[in-house]
Parts: sequence; structure tokens; C-alpha cells
Amino acid sequence: MDAVYLFALVLGLLLIGVPISVSLGLSSILFIIFFSGDSMTSIALKLFEATEHYTLLAIPFFILSSSFMSTGGVARRIIRFAIATVGQFRGGLAMAGVFACMLFAALSGSSPATVVAIGTIVIAGMRQVGYSKDFAAGVICNAGTLGILIPPSIVMVVYAAATDVSVGRMFLAGVLPGLIAGLMLMIGIYIAARWQNLPAQEWKGFGELRDAFLDAGWGLFLIVIILGGIYGGIFTPTEAAAVAAVYAFLIAIFIYRDMGPLKEVPWRLDGEGFGAAVLRNAGAILVKSGPSLVHQDTQKVMVDSAKTTIMLMFIIANALLFAHVLTTERIPQAITDWMLGAGFNWWTFLLAVNILLLLGGQFMEPSGLLLIVAPVVFPIAVELGVDPIHLGIIMVVNMEIGMITPPIGLNLFVTAGITGMSLVRVVKAAAPWVVILMAFLILVTYVPWISTSLPTALMGPEVVVR
Amino acid sequence: MQRFGAFVTRFEETMIALLLAGMTLVTFSQVIARYVFNTGWTAALELTTLMFAWMILFGMSYGIKIGAHLGVDAFIKLFPERTYRLFTLAAALICFFYAIILFSADWLQAFLGSEVNARGGALVYVQKMQIIGIGLEELRLPEWAVHVFGFESEEIPRWIAYLILPLGLLLFAFRCLQAAWQIFTGQRNAIISGHEAEELVAENEGVLKDKETA
Repeated sequence: MDAVYLFALVLGLLLIGVPISVSLGLSSILFIIFFSGDSMTSIALKLFEATEHYTLLAIPFFILSSSFMSTGGVARRIIRFAIATVGQFRGGLAMAGVFACMLFAALSGSSPATVVAIGTIVIAGMRQVGYSKDFAAGVICNAGTLGILIPPSIVMVVYAAATDVSVGRMFLAGVLPGLIAGLMLMIGIYIAARWQNLPAQEWKGFGELRDAFLDAGWGLFLIVIILGGIYGGIFTPTEAAAVAAVYAFLIAIFIYRDMGPLKEVPWRLDGEGFGAAVLRNAGAILVKSGPSLVHQDTQKVMVDSAKTTIMLMFIIANALLFAHVLTTERIPQAITDWMLGAGFNWWTFLLAVNILLLLGGQFMEPSGLLLIVAPVVFPIAVELGVDPIHLGIIMVVNMEIGMITPPIGLNLFVTAGITGMSLVRVVKAAAPWVVILMAFLILVTYVPWISTSLPTALMGPEVVVR
Repeated sequence: MQRFGAFVTRFEETMIALLLAGMTLVTFSQVIARYVFNTGWTAALELTTLMFAWMILFGMSYGIKIGAHLGVDAFIKLFPERTYRLFTLAAALICFFYAIILFSADWLQAFLGSEVNARGGALVYVQKMQIIGIGLEELRLPEWAVHVFGFESEEIPRWIAYLILPLGLLLFAFRCLQAAWQIFTGQRNAIISGHEAEELVAENEGVLKDKETA
């Protein structure tokens, strides 16, 4: 079993602090040199070719649109809308926090960004009306993980690229599970609120609900562009992402004006007539359209997004190299044969996948882990009759749980960072809600209908190629 | 020297930001061109892909410089300071090794003997392409550029498009060596970032911290 060396090498390199990307890449290179003898030229070219993957091209654009949408103003508007919707229930502010995380997830696709954007506002608000800090932090820390389950999601793009399923289907498949997970968290909050006698917010009426919706609507329309555009057949997911990035830029700079040259410029001055306001705004937008492209706020978003893209794509390129080695060595087939021989059925197989991913999620970045695990488990899943879309959703939910379980849980770090709580205290605060998400994982794993019904209903039954 | 360093950083950031902006605008304009003007540019995808590749291959060394590449630091942090430093130094050198093999593996062949097969690399590919002299599939130079710079044809030689591969790997190797030196002399603590949101957390550190129960 030469493959044992390969995995041992990756794990060893990871543990001594080599970057994930280089650990995967170097292990593959050394394995090729010592065991297969491919030319290094073709291997080096693989780094270049990772970018020729049309599906993966969506990643930089989604990152860019989410960076523009992650400014404080969008989060504030979404939270206002969420409070106007569910605030009047017992524990309403916590529920609104979950709802806001769900909406924000649909704009950003990054879990830590969701925790920071929503958490900084909602946790402070919850503290003021009498929630304990642990309760507030625990709820937001968990709800923030919905970022990768509710479309658009970068992890789903990566899964689609690794297994050749359609990105559109994956996005659709995430909608229902995302809603269910949010609902389960809200029910949990409601029960806890009854039990601990937590406060409800005052119902502000439908007027506030309408106003809050209209205000948040500019941002939320992004979801319509992405999902509507893909399912309406207007553009490919990659094009949808590029359009979303441009739209997010326009909204952040010219409509919400939380950043860029028009920052703090109001839509309507005190006592200004309607016509005058229209003229003044039209003029301002025209004059500032050029400067907005080179404004330092825009530059910062561009550089940050580029950095994130490079970091992620470098991992992906090396993970593809690793996956290439796995396939040429026929390792997935060997594992498939072994698993079928050992008498695994779909039920026990999915259990094994869950455990593998929960363990692996402790060491690896989600996209990298997915690219390694997917080629191995995908053929087995097809052999056992598991739907590829369903498998993808299971993997994404596992990544979510990996973010909120110690020792290495991204959302735990972020929550600890912004609240100043110790990591142990955040882990304890998050634990009750992790149990809910675990129950959700079991539900999603053994009820395939939740994942597959929506894509099948809207895009027709799926063709699985064996 | 410091001003030169600031200039290099600025150059690197501007390059990756411009490439990202370029990709976005080309792809976006293609959608508009198709729906509004019912036209399109066949080379758009090739150009976007090339910019994507250049951004990543150019930016990966910048990632080492600012320590943005993700890794696991939980294990090595268990060790005392000196051992931790040793591990970090080893990690930096391993990264250097990685880039150098991909750049050209011929030296490794000489080192390991003929039992293994380690030949070729990014450099060899570009050299071969230069000799063969084939161009890119779709992308062409604009006509004025051919006249102004006196090129032989409108075809863009493939080796130029792929030049970033060996170049990026060399830069990457250089940054790894630099990092190793900085770790050795104690100017730097790590080559990796423990988790992807480190910067995000640093910006918002303790914004919700209570005054009384800190």
C-alpha cells in the first residue's frame, strides 16, 4: 500500500506547520518522483491548469461580491428587517440574530464574515435587553455557519468542480436544508426562551416591516440575481458571480454609501425638494463614478478579495494535484472495493463519511478537505446508490459542524476574538446549539429528500453517470 | 530600503487587485455584450483564465510574504519556544524545496540517481514552448500593437503567457528563503496563518468585550 506513505506524508507536513497547500503539493510531487515517475513538467502545468476549470472561475467573483456586501451597513439593514419580522416572539432578538445570519449567508457565503458582521451588532443588542453573553455568543457562533450551506456558497462551487455535478443544482439543494437548520435553531431558542423567561421585542407593526424590507431589499436582491439568473438560464454560475460582484460594488458605493467617495452623503438633505434631491444625487453619482473605482475603500476590498482568492485557489490547485495522484494510483477504486467487500451499505457508508469529515475538518480548510475526500468517496457513493447532490449537502453540513467544534473551529476563534471570551467559554456556550446542528446532520444524512427535492422539482431528475 | 519595501508591497497589491478587477470586468462585459448587443468576444474566456492564473501564480509568493497561507499551528504550539522555532524554520525550507522542484527537477535527478524519475519542470516547459513557438488559441494582439512594437504576427506566443509559472515559482522560493532567514534571526514568528479569519478577528478584536467581566 504505497498510498499509506502519501497520506502519512501529508499529515506529517501539516503537523509541523507547513501550509496546507504545500503539504498537499509536495506530498504529491514526492510520491510521483518515487513511485510513478511522471514528468515534473506536466505536474507544474497542473498548477496553471487549475484556473482553466470554468466552474472554479466563479470563486474570485463570489469572494469579491461578498467583500462588498460585508460592510457594516448591509448587516445593519438586514438585522433591522430580521427584528421587524421575528422580534416579537419570546427570545425574539436571538431568533432575529439567526434569521439575519441566514439572510446574510445568502449574500456573503463566508461563515466567519457572517459572525463578525451580524455578531458585533446583535450580540451587543442582546446583552442590552438582558440575554447572557454566553447565550448570545453561542447562538450567533452556530448560526454563522449557515454561511456555507445557504447559496451562494464557495464550498459548493468546489464540490461541484470536484465531482462534475452542476453548481446550480448544488445551490438549489442548499436552500431547503438551510431553512430547516435555521428553523431548528429558532425552535431551540424559543424553547430556551420559555424556560429561561427571555424577553420579547415589541411588535412595531407592518409599516416598520415594509420599510425595513425596502431598505434591506437592495442588498437582498443580489440573491434574486444569482439564483434567478442561474435558473432562468440567463447566465452560467460563473457569469452570475461576476454580475453579482459588479452589482454588490454599485450597491455598496452608490446606494448604501457605507464606503467610497459618497460615504455619509445623504440621499435627501433636510428640507430639500424631491426634484432637487434627484438632480443632486444624479450629479453626485455621475461625478463620483470615476473616483469610486480608485477610492481607497474600493482598493482595500479588491486587495483583500484578491488575497483570499489566491490563498484559497493555491490550496485548490494543490489539492487537485493530490486528487490527480489519488486517481492515477487507483486509490478510490481500491477503497471502493474494500468498502463494498467489507459489506458497507449506504447507511453505514454515510455514517463513515460523516465521521471521516468531522475528523478531517479539524485539520483542513473546508475546500481542500472536500477536494481530497470527494474523489475518494464519490465513486463509492454512486456505487451504493447515494445521490451526488445529497452527498454534497452532507459534506457541506459536516464542514459547518467542523467550524464550531474544538480544537480547530473557525467560528469559535472568531467569536472568542470579537467577544473577548476565552475559547473554552465559547465552546461551552456553543455546545447546546451544536447538539441541534448534529441532530440536523443526522436528519440531512438519512432523509435525502430534503436535499434533492428542490433541484429535482425545478431542474428535472438528475442523470447519474456511473 | 524601507521605502523600496513599501514600493514592492504596493506593486504586489496593485497587481493582484488589477488582475481581479480585470477578470471581473471582462466577464461582466461579456454578459452585457451578449444580452444587450447580442455579440461577444471569443477570446474573453481565455483572457479571463490567463488573468486568473497570473493573479494566483504571482500572488502566491506575496501570500508567503504576509504569512497568509493557511496551516495547522495547534500541534507545534504545544512545544517550547526553541522547538517551535525549529519546526517553523523547517516548514519554510520545505516550502522553498517545493517551489524549486516544480521550477526544475533536474538537479534532484542528479542528486537521487537514475533509480527515480525526476525530470522537467516549469522552466523546461517554457523553454520548449519558446522553441516550438506556438501561440495562444484565441487571444490575439490588437493590430496597432503589432505595428508599434514590430511583432511578426498577431499571435501571442504561448511561452510568454506561461512565463508566470516559472517566474512565480522562483518568487515563491525567494520569499520562502527570506522567511526562513527572518525566522532564523528572530524577526518573524510563523510562515502560516492558523486560520483564515485571523485578520478579520484582529480588526474586530474584543469589540464586545465587557468592562467588568473581562
